[in-house]
Amino acid sequence: MAEMDQRLAQLVECLTTSGEPQLNPEQMKELKKICRSSDDHISHMYHLLMTQLNQEHAEIRLSAFQIASELFTRSNHFRTLLISNFQEFLELTVETDYEQPLPPPKEVAQKLKALAIKTVQDWHEKFGEAYKKLSLGYHFLKRNKKVDFQDVRTRTLAEKKREDEKKQRLENIYKEKARKANEEMEEMMDEIHATLTEIESCFKLLLPDPDEFALPMEETGNGDKDVFALPVPAVPCADDDDDEQPCCSKDLAPVTLPNNHSENAAAANLCSKDLQSDESDGDYETRGQAFLRDHGLGSHKYTLSLEIPTDLKVSENENNTDVINNLKDSLKLAKNKYWPAVQSWIQIFTKAGVSDHSLLGAIDLKAKLECALKKQKDIELECKDKKSEAVSASDDDDDFEEVPEKEGYEPRIPDHLREEYGLEPEVPPSPGKKAPAKSLAPCFPLRRKRNNDPLKPTCVAATLKVMKDQLEKRTPSTSSGGGGEPSSRCETQEGELSKAPVVPIGLDLQYWGQEPQTAGKILKVATQHRFWASSEMDEEVESKELEAMLKTRYVSFPGKFEPVTHNCRHPLDNGSLCERQDRYKCPFHGKIIPRDEIGVAINPEDRAREEKQRMEKEAQEQDWRDPELMREIEQATGEDLGSSRYSGKGKRAKRKGKKKYPNLTDLKQKANTSRSRLEKKVFNTGSVKRVISAMNQMDQRRHEKFANQFNYALN
Amino acid sequence: MLGLLWARLCGLDNPVRLRRAEATRRVLSLDLNKDRDVERLHENGINTLDIDPVEGRYMLSGGADGIIVLYDLANLTKSPSYTCKAICKVGKSHPDMHKFSVETVQWYPHDTGIFTSSSFDKTLKTWDTNSLQLAEVFHFEGTVYSHHMSPLATKHSLIAVGTKGPKVQLCDLNSGSCSHILQGHRGEVLAVRWSPRYDYILATASADSKVKLWDVRKATGCLMTLDRHNGEKSKSSSETINTAHNGRVNGLCFTSDGLHLLTVGTDDRMRLWNSASGVNTLVNYGKVCNDSRKSVKFTVSEGCSPDFVFVPCDGTIALYTIYSGEKISVLRGHYDNVDCCVFQPQLQELYSGGKDCNVLAWVPAVREPVPDEDSAKSGSNRHLNPAFEDAWSSSEEEG
Repeated sequence: MAEMDQRLAQLVECLTTSGEPQLNPEQMKELKKICRSSDDHISHMYHLLMTQLNQEHAEIRLSAFQIASELFTRSNHFRTLLISNFQEFLELTVETDYEQPLPPPKEVAQKLKALAIKTVQDWHEKFGEAYKKLSLGYHFLKRNKKVDFQDVRTRTLAEKKREDEKKQRLENIYKEKARKANEEMEEMMDEIHATLTEIESCFKLLLPDPDEFALPMEETGNGDKDVFALPVPAVPCADDDDDEQPCCSKDLAPVTLPNNHSENAAAANLCSKDLQSDESDGDYETRGQAFLRDHGLGSHKYTLSLEIPTDLKVSENENNTDVINNLKDSLKLAKNKYWPAVQSWIQIFTKAGVSDHSLLGAIDLKAKLECALKKQKDIELECKDKKSEAVSASDDDDDFEEVPEKEGYEPRIPDHLREEYGLEPEVPPSPGKKAPAKSLAPCFPLRRKRNNDPLKPTCVAATLKVMKDQLEKRTPSTSSGGGGEPSSRCETQEGELSKAPVVPIGLDLQYWGQEPQTAGKILKVATQHRFWASSEMDEEVESKELEAMLKTRYVSFPGKFEPVTHNCRHPLDNGSLCERQDRYKCPFHGKIIPRDEIGVAINPEDRAREEKQRMEKEAQEQDWRDPELMREIEQATGEDLGSSRYSGKGKRAKRKGKKKYPNLTDLKQKANTSRSRLEKKVFNTGSVKRVISAMNQMDQRRHEKFANQFNYALN
Repeated sequence: MLGLLWARLCGLDNPVRLRRAEATRRVLSLDLNKDRDVERLHENGINTLDIDPVEGRYMLSGGADGIIVLYDLANLTKSPSYTCKAICKVGKSHPDMHKFSVETVQWYPHDTGIFTSSSFDKTLKTWDTNSLQLAEVFHFEGTVYSHHMSPLATKHSLIAVGTKGPKVQLCDLNSGSCSHILQGHRGEVLAVRWSPRYDYILATASADSKVKLWDVRKATGCLMTLDRHNGEKSKSSSETINTAHNGRVNGLCFTSDGLHLLTVGTDDRMRLWNSASGVNTLVNYGKVCNDSRKSVKFTVSEGCSPDFVFVPCDGTIALYTIYSGEKISVLRGHYDNVDCCVFQPQLQELYSGGKDCNVLAWVPAVREPVPDEDSAKSGSNRHLNPAFEDAWSSSEEEG
């Protein structure tokens, strides 16, 4: 009996600590065999399982639960026992208690819960009739804990509660946002409406609404026949074709009708209008003849094609500048400020689930704004491209402002002024030379008041002069080089030049072959004072080094990099060899010396030296490191002094004991995140002490006498 | 049993003896029975239960959702399985329903035509059972924790009400107004109980750890304050107040003869007091878990020897003998805290309600049929339900 019980305990421990998602079938078979032999074993088994179920490890619980479910379907005695304590069983497996969540690891816990819920349902179907408490438990889960047995995800009430809390929090945030947005909206509503009305009226001013626009047309078409009946319009209109005016032009004084007709089409246009009106009259026949005669037209067989442009264009003139500017401003406001704002409000409202008048209002606003923006797109303001140069600065937020031409700046410098600019009077027409000079000239920022002494190296004239000199020097040389050759050579040179990298010119090249005067001179200031200066104030000292610095160029040549191929190969504690690849010296093992394949130094003197070092080290450590004592200290202080390294076997065995179940997921190891490692460093007693002492020191210093003066603060 | 019956038949025994023996046996065999169920109507925890004292047939239950349900407990179907049906309920559709949790319900002691209920909505309501109409409402300043009517008084019809305020109020059903106020407690009054022996004796328990006994005819103050140290220790220590528990006292119950009083408190103790002298009898019941912030309704058995007390204890009901303090058994069946239990003395049944919304009926187990010569048949009878059989697979290998 006792043996069997012991064996049972062993089996249970084995099975539950395996960490496997499935039970080992062989061990399970053995267990069942023992269990079926008597009810005592089952009682024992039940207690064993309950202890395992109480372990704070989801994997152990899962395995224990699996064993329990195996036995539950088989043994009546086990069922009775388990159901008598069904509350606790559910707490441990289905997480019915909000205060007692399932232990980590999380995935396994989820799995356990899902499995448990499913199993409880199965049990209820099979045994619910017979065991009242089982069905009570099932109904408890179903009704009170709101477990949805159909739901695959099987969320229990506790989980739902957590989720609800989260949802609630989010909802509150959204509500708050919505409230704020509502306030904001109320504030901005008037403003937006004002802007919208402004835009609307601006549009109206620029271009009457099509409805309104059509009205007078109709009237003129039908009611006021007399307008067209009059012979007046046709004749004078023929010559002012550049500004063709429709009959109702008086209605839209500042706006010309959008029209792209060719000029002579315009005249025809008018005629056609007359024609149309005539047609509408009805007695076309008689009047048509008269018309023909009146206008001297040959026949009626003219075909008129009218191009009616779909896009409306408004040209800007002095009559409507203000209106257009105003319109532009408000449109920009609407586009850049109001539209995004309204958009965000709608988003917030829909997220918060607000569906009252505020959302409707926002949507309404958005529609209006969009309508206005669309209109703007439709009525492409012609003036835009016309005025683009003038307006661009304000219009499209360019980085650079267009500056009106400076008086002093002249791209082509007249001869009589060249002296003023520090340039030689130009050699008259020579075209080969003129080109570079001209192209160069505008590149330099010209300033009149500049000190343009050609001797000063930094001034434009000087550089220009230098370049010119060089150019002059070169031309004779190339010309002297050979008659037909240079052109081809030039070509190859140009090809190479295009390939050549561009290197910024250093100071030395800048002044190549010159004697810069200011360079290398240091203004010596005798006294630091601003106005108590001595008379020989501007004393200059020439410094050879500085001058040399400007004239020399260093080109460093480090040689070619050769990667290190050898390793340190010093034998390590763990039996391997040091893998470091240092060139001369390993930071851990000193100078790199040739070693054989097991890491022993080849040279005998090296070997002797190493041996000696090792002996010394050991001796040094052994006389104060008593492993026993150290372990005691470690136990007392809880800090690792490294006794395990010296004691060897005993400690290692202990460690193994600690890690009892290697198959289970280590819960503590889970905590080994970057955060925990950092915590270990930061909250380490030593570092905390250090920080405390430093802070104390700072604190103390604050109360000292000259704490606020920097030269005392640093000591 | 047969011996007892025989003795009774011959007139050797007092008739009480047989009754007691059988009642005791039945109480000891109380358990959940799959044949007995109580309809589930509450959506929330059940705070209080009461069985009418006249017939023992109708049971009231008050839930934390403000619903009051009236059950019929009598099984007239002649089949063993029976679900106690709800006859009627004061539910959400009722205009006079309690707004908040119903804390106590009680039948009028002499008739099932009236019952009373008190709730956290600061009212005490009197109902006409037959029409289910509201008869009378008493309003209070604080939430009502408990109320009680004297089970035997015929000369007065006072309802003692314990509210959040420290004063115990007495409402007269005759006049429909509060007639007395009993002052003396310093904390909220969690439980009130009339003595089943004397018309005018009232016991009250409060959150200030005190239990007081009152004679409501006496205007000056309480009769006595129960002291758990029986006056010995408090003399030596500087404190002069007598406390019954070291914590809130939230349950009171007189024994059926009214000679003793049981109290439970949040110090996880139960104490038995002599109700005449106020002496602590120092019966040790062990730890009786109790962390309820409201009143706990527990009950005693009647007509057994020895008598038993049923105390809700977390998710279980503990069964103790009253006078020796021995824990007989623990009834496990609820899946959440148990708040109340009530004993049906005629049939020795126990009903309990808890936070898991269940009303559970604990029914005495029927005697197993005596195995007669046809043992094979009885054996098969016993294992009628296949669920009670072991289901080891037949082959030895599979296990």
